[in-house]
Amino acid sequence: MQPILQTTNLRKVYPPEKKGGTEFVAVDGISFELEPGQILGLLGPNGAGKSTTISMLLGVLTPTSGEISYFGKSFEANRSEILNQVGFASTYISMPWRLTVWENLRIYALLFDIEYTEFAKRAEKFLTKFGVWDQRYKMMNQLSAGQVTRIMLAKAFIPHPKVALLDEPTASLDPDIAHEVRRFVREQREQYGTSILYTSHNMDEVADLCDSVLFLRKGKIVAHDTPENLAGSISKAKVRLQVVDGLKRIERFAREQSLPATIIEREVILEIDEQKVAEFLMQLADEDIHYSQISIDKPTLEDYFLSMSI
Amino acid sequence: MNWHRIHALALRHLYPLKRDFDLLSDMIYWPLVDTIVWGVTSQWITDASGIASAATGILLGLVLWNVIWRSQAEVARNLLDEIQNNNLVNLFSTALTVKEWLVSVVFLSVIKTSITMAILLPAMYLLYKINVLQQGLWLAVFFLGATVTGWWVGFLSAGVVLRHGLRMQTVVWTFPGMLLPFSAVFFPLDRLPAFLQPISRVIPTTYIFETMRAIVAGLPVDYSLLAYSFGLNFLFLTLAIWYFIRSFAYSKKLGLGRFNT
Repeated sequence: MQPILQTTNLRKVYPPEKKGGTEFVAVDGISFELEPGQILGLLGPNGAGKSTTISMLLGVLTPTSGEISYFGKSFEANRSEILNQVGFASTYISMPWRLTVWENLRIYALLFDIEYTEFAKRAEKFLTKFGVWDQRYKMMNQLSAGQVTRIMLAKAFIPHPKVALLDEPTASLDPDIAHEVRRFVREQREQYGTSILYTSHNMDEVADLCDSVLFLRKGKIVAHDTPENLAGSISKAKVRLQVVDGLKRIERFAREQSLPATIIEREVILEIDEQKVAEFLMQLADEDIHYSQISIDKPTLEDYFLSMSI
Repeated sequence: MNWHRIHALALRHLYPLKRDFDLLSDMIYWPLVDTIVWGVTSQWITDASGIASAATGILLGLVLWNVIWRSQAEVARNLLDEIQNNNLVNLFSTALTVKEWLVSVVFLSVIKTSITMAILLPAMYLLYKINVLQQGLWLAVFFLGATVTGWWVGFLSAGVVLRHGLRMQTVVWTFPGMLLPFSAVFFPLDRLPAFLQPISRVIPTTYIFETMRAIVAGLPVDYSLLAYSFGLNFLFLTLAIWYFIRSFAYSKKLGLGRFNT
């Protein structure tokens, strides 16, 4: 099946800011594909190249080298035709402050060739879904950050795009609205087959939403897999014990076994290879260490993120 | 060229007119203040000098200077407005092209200049009994020359901002001001110090204002100078658009997102 979006050896090098300075490689030859209907997460620490990549995919930053194609067509040669099918929302971008929500959305609908009656129908649907229908005649500068974010999402999806590039779309939202947004994103994929490239700093959200994750570091792709497999590549589980008797013994035991341990009052948190948890619990019994509570946290995408971000 | 997108950009800058007093004061209030001040001054000069055409010449100069100012402001300030609203990435991540943006700002400059003129010209007639429409077709010639000058000044200063960033936004205000003393707007070219006159001779507006004064005074018109003025004007417009497009491409190399505040 032909990918919706494909990059080949995409690279962006910024020139030195001052004479005699060094150039900065923001994106270093990345190649990836976004499949039809796929939600692909773009993860990485600050400065990894996520925003640079999205800017190049939107055509607001010229790549130094490499190719971008959408729907099998060169982005460079078919920019307008392609962007007419691409929606974009970012927490870091706003819309003109001196216009109302309705005026702003009307303008963006026109930029996508959408007639007024169709626009009004879609705008009502999306603004109602995001709980901001009552705000439609307010100026953008009268809205909260969370409301602006929701308006930006409505802007991105009013054209029913084939591809949506969403840059931290839930960053400033309350948990219940963020949950609603995630449900909405899934609905868009299911109803319209929209393919989505999604960046977020919320690992639970990425794990919940994305079919696949690209992990970027220093401009390179260092991993590309499902969230489950990435989390699974971290073998350490976290074992939390509420120790009743034997706190000193468990501290000594952890030191002898070179197990990373954190002790807060009577709670002990140990990082142990998942395969060795059973053996560890038997050793605790042998050492006569008593505990009242135990929980074992399996590795998560966040653990992967933290391990890769160092 | 997609007219829906041009329509969208026109709405983008026309909607705020309903409620933005900054924009309304630029379009109406300050031109009216200028008209009152210069109207009284020109009548005093007419009375003192005995030159009957002085008042009409000065007020018509004011009208044409407003045409230049408004035309350049629409081009350059529209870009500044998008930058200050963090809206540049929003716009250019759609199918909108640079050509469509250029056409839209030119279209908006004509609309907003027309609104200013619709206030200024009746005010001049009511206050001073000066009817600049009496100049007939010549007025259209002068308006065209002034508008084209405003466009190239606007594209040039917008290009500078795109290339060098917001730290250079002052050119949007200062560049048109630089042209004012050299364009013989309110006084004849020969009154300018001799060493400055060569500069005036390569500025197209000089010949527009000189021709305007000749018409008002009933003197013969030098058509070759007027043709030279239009030639220069269209040459400068072509170069300014070329520079703007090059600056836009340069700006995309650094990323339009760098303007976000």
